Amino acid sequence: MKYLSQTALRAGAVGVAVLAAAASMAQADGKSVTIGLTSDPSHLYPLAGEELSSNIMYYHLYDPLVKRAGDLSFGPGLAESWENVDETTWRFKLRDGVTFHNGNAFTASDVVFTVEKARESIRPDLVANIASITAVDDTTVEIKTPKPYAVLPNDLAELLILDEEYTTATGDTDMDLKPMGTGPYMLDQWIKEEKLVLKAFDGYWAGAPKIKEVTFRPITNPATRTAALLTGEVDVIQDLAVRDVDRVKKEGGFSVITRPSLLNVVLAMDMRENSPTIEGKNPMTDQRVRAAIAQAIDVDAINKIVMNGLATPSDQYVPASHIGHVDGLNFREMYPLDIEGAKALMAEAGYADGFTMTLDATNNRYVNDAQIAQALASMLAKINIDLQLNIMPKSNFWGYIRVPTENSSFIMSGWDVPSGDAGSMYGALFYTRGKKDGYGQVNRGSYSNAEMDALVDKADSTPKIEERDALLQEATKILMADVPMIPLHYEQDIYAARDGVMLEPRVDKFLWAYDMDVN
Amino acid sequence: MFGYLLKRLIQMTLVLWVVSVIVFLMMSFTGDPVFMVVPIDATDAEIAQARRLLGLDQSLLVQYGKFLTSLVQGDFGNSYVFRQPAMTLILERMPATVEMVLVAMALAIAVAIPLGVYAGANPNSRISRVIMAGSLLGISLPGFWVGMVLIYLFAVHWGVFPSSGRGDTAELFGLRISLLTWDGWHHIMLPAITLSLGTMAILLRMTRAGMMEVGRQDFMKFARAKGATRRDVLYKHGLKNALIPVVTIFGLQLGDLIAFATITETIFSWPGMGKLLIDSIYRADRPVIVVYLMLVALIFVVINFIVDIVYTMIDPRITLK
Repeated sequence: MKYLSQTALRAGAVGVAVLAAAASMAQADGKSVTIGLTSDPSHLYPLAGEELSSNIMYYHLYDPLVKRAGDLSFGPGLAESWENVDETTWRFKLRDGVTFHNGNAFTASDVVFTVEKARESIRPDLVANIASITAVDDTTVEIKTPKPYAVLPNDLAELLILDEEYTTATGDTDMDLKPMGTGPYMLDQWIKEEKLVLKAFDGYWAGAPKIKEVTFRPITNPATRTAALLTGEVDVIQDLAVRDVDRVKKEGGFSVITRPSLLNVVLAMDMRENSPTIEGKNPMTDQRVRAAIAQAIDVDAINKIVMNGLATPSDQYVPASHIGHVDGLNFREMYPLDIEGAKALMAEAGYADGFTMTLDATNNRYVNDAQIAQALASMLAKINIDLQLNIMPKSNFWGYIRVPTENSSFIMSGWDVPSGDAGSMYGALFYTRGKKDGYGQVNRGSYSNAEMDALVDKADSTPKIEERDALLQEATKILMADVPMIPLHYEQDIYAARDGVMLEPRVDKFLWAYDMDVN
Repeated sequence: MFGYLLKRLIQMTLVLWVVSVIVFLMMSFTGDPVFMVVPIDATDAEIAQARRLLGLDQSLLVQYGKFLTSLVQGDFGNSYVFRQPAMTLILERMPATVEMVLVAMALAIAVAIPLGVYAGANPNSRISRVIMAGSLLGISLPGFWVGMVLIYLFAVHWGVFPSSGRGDTAELFGLRISLLTWDGWHHIMLPAITLSLGTMAILLRMTRAGMMEVGRQDFMKFARAKGATRRDVLYKHGLKNALIPVVTIFGLQLGDLIAFATITETIFSWPGMGKLLIDSIYRADRPVIVVYLMLVALIFVVINFIVDIVYTMIDPRITLK
């Protein structure tokens, strides 16, 4: 017994010494930061799927041809420059001297390979606007689009370039665990649900990263995430719980950083003659009824009471930074809160007694979604609309509300446009359904306006961004007058960091350690 | 004995088969997993392609048939979300859950049995009444609340324990075990304590009840009269006879904790299986759920079998039939 305990003591002492030495060695190497995420990434292979934590990892390990900055501006990435050879042909000049983490040179054939791989993967949407791609020489690729498409570079910001040789040899399943890209970081260690450690790739083409080691810790419970920040176990956290904001602000040594998110919470109204949850003729086919509904909703009250002031009422369908946004036009000014005015509109349309319909909403996808739905029910009751609530988890929701929308009359969901271009939203949500392949596939309200369709068609046929912007702005004006969908508010992205961490939150909610700094 | 084993094996196969059928049927109600995987503005063609890649383009019966044929070949299917083998995902996380449960159970037994024996032997003493009141708290306080309070007190306020996560691990037989490092023990204490409280309270009360019933028996007075020490009377004669229901409950709790320590794992960000289960349910990841529940059924069957063997060890009058 005594012998055992002495050996145990010695072993313990050696163990502690080794741990201490290892810890001091790690710190001596350079700056490091630990980030608390809301969930563990599911993939490290960009073509395997799309989900926030995985997206964050992709952009650390890989690079796209065109880089999207934190403010949604687009600039050169792996492609130094690009130009239109003709209306449907683009030439991208690739950067010279870039290598993957394993030393393989980055060449045009890697780009061609990536496009072809994407087409047969679960993400063909990434290359939907690329009709063909050829490698002109080692540093030039030529892309042909099916028709003139002004925002091809914006789309390419989401296509991350793979190493042809490595990816072919490794196979899709293992690519998820053993990534190989040109990005500023390499994978050091990934223990699922525990931590993911990235270390800097010093040969990165834009310069070695300032932070040498990044550790991501997935902590799903919001209270535990806040606790981990307060104890110093993590330096930065994503999605600080609304109820913890005051607590963290009061605690010295931490700061709370917020910014309006890209996610616009919207209400889609059915515009078919007969709607699944409404008896008789569908009142929402009349624009006055739709306007009345918009004017009965008190977005400021929802912001103050349900969202604790952490929402930004939407002015249009897309934020001011986007192509297609009209300066000075504000939904909240076009349809201000006015119960009397709304009642008058309803009476004018012949629905003074109101009607009954069902609102389909989630309870676990958007911030306080179920509570917002309840608030809407009480607000619409004021104009005699009896709103029945059908609230369900998101795993059931997407299938339930899916086009051709056989179950829904009134849907609360969200939409974000990371490409900075309203055209993709209008084409998917407001274009007449079933008219053209690839358009109107999310048009849940069956809205159809030939003038709007024509504007989107023209916008999608011009290679000039200014023309596209002008055409989409006309479309915005039509949509704001027709009001097929009511935009409610943008959620708020809330981060918290200890003092000494420099973090500028990105509009698309991705975290990028390359842009961060630590003292 | 062989006949008994064969019978149990057949029962086990039947249970596993029924579980797989139930899960397949249930999952048809929880939403189409395709929509959790494709972007929201995916076109019909893109969704069809995704369906094909995930094997969701056939009828439920065909999918179940494929599942069974793959099963007998040892292929448990790939997760829709991770696109990795479902069994690998679960087994990767199993050591973390099992070690937390073992520490919790050890704590529970170490506290519950002695206290239960004391409370059963001295039912009217003041200390016993305090113990019983404490056990009521253990049963009624919800795990997630206890966990958060412990994090607040011990991690945030006093800084004695870490708030979440698993500590450093060392490899043993290819498995990563955190109980082999001091840092690992440091991290496991709060989650294990949280997890142990419910079981501790139940075992304590069962032990006390058993001891009180056994204490009334004549053989106890006879043993004391014979000159056995008080400790021998209580533990060697008394406890052994009171242990049958305690062992039953212990087996059930053990299986329950291994399978469903989800809440504690979520609160403490403990990288175990329970968290994988709840995430898979949210994401309608059927392959993982079906493998997980079959594994859980297997664990329960095995534990109950071991409990039956233990009965015969405690009470030689019981035989296996």
